[in-house]
Amino acid sequence: MKKLIMGISTLTASAAMLTACGGGNDKEVTVGAKNFTEQFILAKMTEIMLEENDFSVDMADNMGSTALRQALESGEVGVTWEYTGTGLITYNDEEPISEKDEAFEAIQSIDAEQDITWTNPSNIDNTYTLVMREADGEEKGIETISDLADYINENPEEMEFATDAEFGNREDGLPGVEETYGFEFGNSQVNEMSYGLNYEALNNEEVDVAMGHATDSRIEEYNLYNLEDDEQFFPSYHASVSMRTEVYEEYPEIEEILEPLSQELDGETMTGLNYQVDIEDENVDDVARNYLQENGFIE
Amino acid sequence: MNKKAMIAWIVKLIFWGVIISFFWWVFSNNMFSQLTENPDQFLGLLSRHLQIVLISSSLALATAIPAGILMTRKNYQKYEWLFVNTANLGQTIPSIAILALAMGFLGIGIQAAILALYVYSLLPILQNTIAGLKSVNPAAKDAALGMGMTPGQILFKIELPMAANSIIAGIRTAIVLNIGTTALAYLIGGGGLGVWIFTGIQLFDNTYLISGAVPVTLLAVTVDQLFRLLQFFMVPKGIRLAQKAAVNAV
Repeated sequence: MKKLIMGISTLTASAAMLTACGGGNDKEVTVGAKNFTEQFILAKMTEIMLEENDFSVDMADNMGSTALRQALESGEVGVTWEYTGTGLITYNDEEPISEKDEAFEAIQSIDAEQDITWTNPSNIDNTYTLVMREADGEEKGIETISDLADYINENPEEMEFATDAEFGNREDGLPGVEETYGFEFGNSQVNEMSYGLNYEALNNEEVDVAMGHATDSRIEEYNLYNLEDDEQFFPSYHASVSMRTEVYEEYPEIEEILEPLSQELDGETMTGLNYQVDIEDENVDDVARNYLQENGFIE
Repeated sequence: MNKKAMIAWIVKLIFWGVIISFFWWVFSNNMFSQLTENPDQFLGLLSRHLQIVLISSSLALATAIPAGILMTRKNYQKYEWLFVNTANLGQTIPSIAILALAMGFLGIGIQAAILALYVYSLLPILQNTIAGLKSVNPAAKDAALGMGMTPGQILFKIELPMAANSIIAGIRTAIVLNIGTTALAYLIGGGGLGVWIFTGIQLFDNTYLISGAVPVTLLAVTVDQLFRLLQFFMVPKGIRLAQKAAVNAV
């Protein structure tokens, strides 16, 4: 027993010393990310850019939105890429705003009171969408969500829907779409599954409609299409940096370091990067690094 | 009261204290609100959960017990390694990976979940069946043979009753694990109470989490107790008394 305690304390002591000596810089920050490809890529790029600028970076990824936000509020995470719509609707119970700058300014001022600072609005609009197979949609004559609502009201119980638990239960998700457009999938028509499989399920004709993220590369890959949001229910979801104010004040340079990223990235570029990871099976690290090198952001 | 009994008693007390305060917290914060507001959805998820557990466990029982019996017959003993290693493999692959593999050829939904959980439940049942049958005292079998019993009679009247304790313990382990693991069926669109557990995780909403997780736990505890009862009735009294005596002797 004594030996064990000795062993453990030696280990702890050496670990502590190692950490203390680590590189001699004390600019430390934790980057958080949610549980889908775009977030992994953005977080990885952020990690690389910050490390290039002498930060030591911890990663905390693969979280649900709300869990990530809690981690940001409690200080476990310092920097994240967040979407304006999610900030307004999910975290602050505000009305959705579909204009980009307006949405960004609104969330910036609301979150300032909660010690969270928003910077670097980008042109990546990863709004939610409803997707269908091209051939199927053509046959049924469905182009907009209103068309879908009409079709479902005429043929209840026919179409199967695939979603993840988050969209399926969020106010700015399925319940809100159904309310706005006046239709309803029956309980047994809604298939909840891990995000990403919904495209697979749609492609395999196991379901007829699925939730999607506008910049997801699988929409193109599987010949799916986004239904037009003709009532403009889905608000602006522009990716921006959301930081703890305390981190922002301590390291104001983070905003500048990430500036080229938020300037350069847009929906099309993001879809392309997502494509490399999801369809071409390249790893996130390579994709992020290559992009940064090609654009001269890093050596 | 000796020291050991005292410690056991204190641990029990703390345990119950924790459980009671947990439920007090749950009820005072109205954490079961999903369950009370959407009883239809709850029943749907619960029955789907039970369906997956029942089908996959019954299939596992129907394969693993006969396989275990076969593996302990003289002529087939040499194949034991094959079956046990196959079942072992099923158990060592993480349950999420089995789900993903099953989904590869069965698509999303309940079939893939059933297949994955079936594979996952095989090993505990198979191993305990083999161990139970192997532990039967050879003298008892010899005596039965001397009395003129056929191999079939020996199996059903001597071996299986004497191995019952171990076999049922294996079934208990398998099913209790199965009930918990079925929560992962959500990931591949299999439904079940995992839907609420994952909704709770993704939305960070405890009412979903508790309304999904507590019923799963209660289900596992109840089934465990039922099998304890079954174990009590299925194991011959003589063996029970002998085991009790053995424990007391230690």
